[in-house]
Amino acid sequence: MFKWKKLGRIFNPSDVKGISWLTEFAQAPCVLVFDNFVRIYFSGRPPRENNGNYVSYTGYVDINRKNLFEILNVSAKPIMELGGKGAFDEFGIYPTSVIRNEDKIFAYYGGWTRCESVPFDVAIGCAVSHDDGKTFTKLGNGPVLSYTIDEPFILSGPKIRRFNNRWYLWYIAGKKWLTAETRMEPVYKIRMASSDNGIDWTKMNHELIESKLEENECQASPDVFYYKNKYHMFFCYRKSLNYRGKEGGYRIGYASSDNMLNWTRDDTRAGIDISDTGWDSEMVAYPHVFELDNEIYMLYLGNQVGKHGFGIARLMT
Amino acid sequence: MPQKMKWKKQGKIFDPTTFKLFNEYHEFAQSPQALVFDDFVRIYFSVRKKDLSGKYLSHIAFIDMDKQFNKIINNSSQTVIELGRPGCFDEHGIFPMNVVRDKNKIISYTCGWSRRISVPVETSIGLAVSRDNGLTFGKSGDGPILTASLYEPFLVGDPFVTIFNGNYFMWYIYGTRWIQPAGNESPERVYKIGCATSGDGINWQKKNRQVIPDKLNADECQALPSVIKLGTKYFMVFCYRQAIDFRTNKANAYRLGLAYSEDLNHWVRDDRNLGIDVSENGWDSDMMCYPNIFECDGRIYLLYNGNEFGRYGFGLALLEN
Repeated sequence: MFKWKKLGRIFNPSDVKGISWLTEFAQAPCVLVFDNFVRIYFSGRPPRENNGNYVSYTGYVDINRKNLFEILNVSAKPIMELGGKGAFDEFGIYPTSVIRNEDKIFAYYGGWTRCESVPFDVAIGCAVSHDDGKTFTKLGNGPVLSYTIDEPFILSGPKIRRFNNRWYLWYIAGKKWLTAETRMEPVYKIRMASSDNGIDWTKMNHELIESKLEENECQASPDVFYYKNKYHMFFCYRKSLNYRGKEGGYRIGYASSDNMLNWTRDDTRAGIDISDTGWDSEMVAYPHVFELDNEIYMLYLGNQVGKHGFGIARLMT
Repeated sequence: MPQKMKWKKQGKIFDPTTFKLFNEYHEFAQSPQALVFDDFVRIYFSVRKKDLSGKYLSHIAFIDMDKQFNKIINNSSQTVIELGRPGCFDEHGIFPMNVVRDKNKIISYTCGWSRRISVPVETSIGLAVSRDNGLTFGKSGDGPILTASLYEPFLVGDPFVTIFNGNYFMWYIYGTRWIQPAGNESPERVYKIGCATSGDGINWQKKNRQVIPDKLNADECQALPSVIKLGTKYFMVFCYRQAIDFRTNKANAYRLGLAYSEDLNHWVRDDRNLGIDVSENGWDSDMMCYPNIFECDGRIYLLYNGNEFGRYGFGLALLEN
């Protein structure tokens, strides 16, 4: 059983002025720890385009390592540009997950394109930074992990980890599109792949986490860490339709594993839920767990999936 | 250096505007691809029909011809392969489909089309298997077996698979860039021929390089590779064109090209020795495209489309040397 103490919201995009890529949303936080500060990557959005659609960019906020509520800097520019015409990441880079590898930093991200019959599709790209994570260069113009026979669309939500010198990527894969009243809605489930070099990936080709709410439950943000001789996964899940409010919206789930392949879901052990009032009173989503100075923390999104920023909780021992 | 090929054109052998196919397909018969049976030759091709939005969907159909290619003795009377579900790579068309005998099975590699917003389409390659001797095909899954990757960012399509000594080889095309012409014109694509290999026909390793050098310029578009072994050499017939103004300008339109290889890896481009070109006039006077080279009873044939990318059907040529 985990028990998390909510410390409050640490970043609200509405508080930031004069940064063109960031007027709304701060989604899918992911940390990179430096000596004196913690860099939190997240995805934000400029105002909607004339056609009503958003694009997403990934940037970062640096916070004081000794005082996590002190913001030191917000990146003036995104860490990388959107893709060129026809590329898989032409219309969005979200979410992004980073990892150190020797003196470089690798980023894995969901690249968004727009489609005719369904609103969008997503595939996973990879980029590398040589300047401590300020800017990233894409390894190529195409995705590093894309569609296969039984993962036909929406490969997104990458979470990159390395255990015992092997690379692991947890992600989501689309299963079907549902016809809802006003638009098509996707169903997606948590999956994983592994690699020796972070570039050539072998997919496991099966769903890792059983569905609980309904067959079409949507699962996202599979964040894995190793702690007390076990692998622990925090993720989020919601109903497939009518999920924009409190009733069907995202909650944080939990599963554990001895081998990373077979996972036992037990949401009662997650130890974090929505608040009675405030910025996370309708949903909690996109958990990211990390260790810092002998404490374990969780970053997570609140209402409207991060429209109003992200907060932090500390694991109580 | 191989000798120059000598082809005898047999003329147009199928016209979709005059032949009554099932489902009222009457426009286009594109990318004909032959599968030889004991008593007949089945030729698969892509037909088109407009959907409610007025845009075309490509579907697969076939005709069976006698082995002298004089008579159509049968044709597909039902859906050969279904298009994909919403959001799938082959939701808006299958064109072309390459059919291969694999031991006692008939399998096919499809080029699936799905529509995009900023560019017209994206394509990927799917796999399907027939359990009724090639009448219909069932897909291996909703997703593709070969698609965009780091160095082949989009428009993976036009598969052609052959099996040599138990090893699967696929030649296909991949996009290198989208060109936005001036004004409101639709973006145009540039694509090149690539290669992948496989031990099982399902899991493929891309070579990640252009296998046929450009002749026209860096934006040359190369399509529909088709490979055959003649003697000790491998020969590839394909088509190529300029990237812009290729639909109605004969000078920029598709022509057939030739390459040869000793080892299936290094290819020498040798268009001058192909020995077939557009006619002075008639159905293949403006362009030639989507070639399929195959052997039937010891003879080597070439199927191909003519003007307007096959709107009026396909023709046949016979290798005479």
